[in-house]
Parts: sequence; C-alpha cells; structure tokens
Amino acid sequence: MKCRRFGGKGEEDMGALSKLSQWRTLAREAAERTAILAKFLCILHVTNTYICTPTLVYGPSMLPTFNLTGDVLLVENLTVRMGKVRPGDVVLVRSPENPRKTVSKRILGMEGDRVTFMIDPKNSNRCQSVVIPKGHVWIQGDNIYASHDSRNFGPVPYGLIQGKVFFRVWPLNGFGSLRQ
Amino acid sequence: MGVSNVKQWSRIVKEALDRAFFTAKFLCLLHVSNTYLCTVALAHGPSMLPTLNLSGDLILADRLSVRFGKVGPGDIVLVRSPQNPRKIITKRVVGMGGDRVTFSVDPKDSRRCETVVVPEGHVWIAGDNIYASTDSRNFGAVPYGLLQGKVFWRVCLFHLLISFHNTFFYRLLHFILLWGYIKWNIIFDCLENFRIEKDNILNHMPRK
Repeated sequence: MKCRRFGGKGEEDMGALSKLSQWRTLAREAAERTAILAKFLCILHVTNTYICTPTLVYGPSMLPTFNLTGDVLLVENLTVRMGKVRPGDVVLVRSPENPRKTVSKRILGMEGDRVTFMIDPKNSNRCQSVVIPKGHVWIQGDNIYASHDSRNFGPVPYGLIQGKVFFRVWPLNGFGSLRQ
Repeated sequence: MGVSNVKQWSRIVKEALDRAFFTAKFLCLLHVSNTYLCTVALAHGPSMLPTLNLSGDLILADRLSVRFGKVGPGDIVLVRSPQNPRKIITKRVVGMGGDRVTFSVDPKDSRRCETVVVPEGHVWIAGDNIYASTDSRNFGAVPYGLLQGKVFWRVCLFHLLISFHNTFFYRLLHFILLWGYIKWNIIFDCLENFRIEKDNILNHMPRK
C-alpha cells in the first residue's frame, strides 16, 4: 500500500518512515500488553491479600492431616489480621530460624495459656509445662515424632503468622474445608 | 422522549462504572506499591531521640531491602512488635544472626553490661535513646520475619505542620489525596478524548 501524501520524495524515505511507524506500533502494543499484565498482577495481589491464596505444603510434620508428598491448600489472612486465630487452627508461619521458609503448623495455645508438651516423645515420657508470653503463640505439628516446632524454638511472636488454612483443594479425596 | 432518557441514563451509568473501575485500578496499584516497594509511616515517641522527633516524623521505608536480606547493623527498620502484634515500632538494628552484642542492662541505675550471641534468623534491635526505649534488651532478639521495612528517608516538610494542631495535618493529607485523585481523573479524561479523536481520524482516512 503506497501512501500518496508524500508524493515526490522517493522510496528510500518511505522505507525509513514505515520502519519507524512499525517500531512505534510494536512499542505501543508492548506497552499495552505490559499494562494489562501489570493490572492482572495487581488484582491477583489484592485477591491474595484480602480473599485467599493457594499454597503447596509438603513434609512429614503435619501427618495425618496433610500428606507427605504435597497438598494444595487455600489460605486466608483476614482472620490473622483481625486477631481471631484460635487454638486448633492450622496456620502458615514464617519460621523464626530461617526467615525465607514458611511452615504450616497447628496452634496449641495463645498468649497467657499454659501449654504442656512432651519434650522427646520417641525416647521418654517426660512432659514440660510453659506459660506463653504476651504477643506469642505456641505452634506444634500434628506428627509430634517428626516435627520441628515450638518444642524446639519456643513460642513464636504472633506477627510471624502469615495466614490461616481453611480449605484443601488437592488431593481430590481430601477436597473440602478442614475440620479438627 | 422515554428513549432519550434511557440513553442518557445508560451513558451516565457507563461513565460512573468507568470512573469506578479507574479508581479501583489506581487503589490496587497504590496497595501493591505499598506492600512491595515503599511505605509511609508516622513515627512518634521518645525511643529514637535524637534521630527522630518525639512528636512525630513522617518517614519512608522501602520493603525491597528486607525481602532481599540487605538489612545490616546500623539500619533503622520498622518492626512488628513481638509483644503487641498490632503495633509497628521503629528501631535501629545493632546485630544480625551470629553476632555478639554487648549492651547495658539498665543505664539509668547501673553500668552493668551483658553480652549475648544473637541466634540465627534473628536480629537485635535497640532504640537510639537507651534511657527511654523498650527494645531487645527487654524482649530479646526478634525473628527476622518481623521486619517490615528499612527506613531511608525522612519527609522534613511535615515537621513544621505537625507542630501545629494534629487534626490540621490529617486534613491536609486528605486534601492532598483528594487533589491527586481529581488530577488523575482529569488526566484520564484527556486520554479518553485523545483516543476518541484518534479513532475518528483513523475512521475518516480512507475517504481522502
């Protein structure tokens, strides 16, 4: 398609101009796609913060509630932010020993509660009792024989709780909300 | 007559929906940048004198440094208090995991010092004003996961305004937010007009 508006200028200028307009169209399309992607990521972030987010958990410390090889769970953090987490809830907690790791455990006690636990269930029957300080919670895995939790690193500050688990999506035979 | 009314109403409703979507997108963007990039905080209290004011300082804290582990001794950080999870406090990092920290236990009464090794994954925080600060000397080393941001900028302009009445500051902040929202709406209108004109021009081109 030749454009007759620039009559008399020759074909070399037309080549350069059309290439420039091609680049401009490409740049505009790239900007539009990036804008759509940015909007999608923003909405995803807001959904994750205020509604729920999916996570994959694996490991032996929450058997038999969660599988060894992996479960996909839905986690919400409105309950955490309002402070309505109660003993018996399964929560995601940022590990106090390694800040890049997030673990899933069950809350056994809130601040002010007295918690009794077995120190080393594989070897002895000895129990110990602890009062949880203000602003902290006691977390423990369901599988006390293979769990690294508050029995090892003590009560964790409430601010480390990232979200409360309320629904299981995968595997399908366990699909549904989690009951104690 | 009825048809033109319905047309007018549908146009108004469409415009209202467009504005609502634009506002929602803007707020999403603000929320994302607040969570991942940079956040604003008002720090008040005597524990960081003379660095920060007693009556209040508006500070900017970036969240990327904490996420990538670039926090070190000497940085001022925002920390979620381990004693009250709803409170966020401003303190200075004195030692990271593995460091040995020496501090005076009760500087007002005695000169007794104690030395402690900070456990892995924790940080030792202390206020600049050791005589009036509840920090790691009271509640021990805090886990790194409680850090919310690293302070890098103090907005000095508001210092003059805060020394007046407190409500004036909030009214000014609301006014600035409203002005920003109105300005964005005007820019949105200009962009819309530009797009409509461009479409008109492109539609008229083949006739020439």
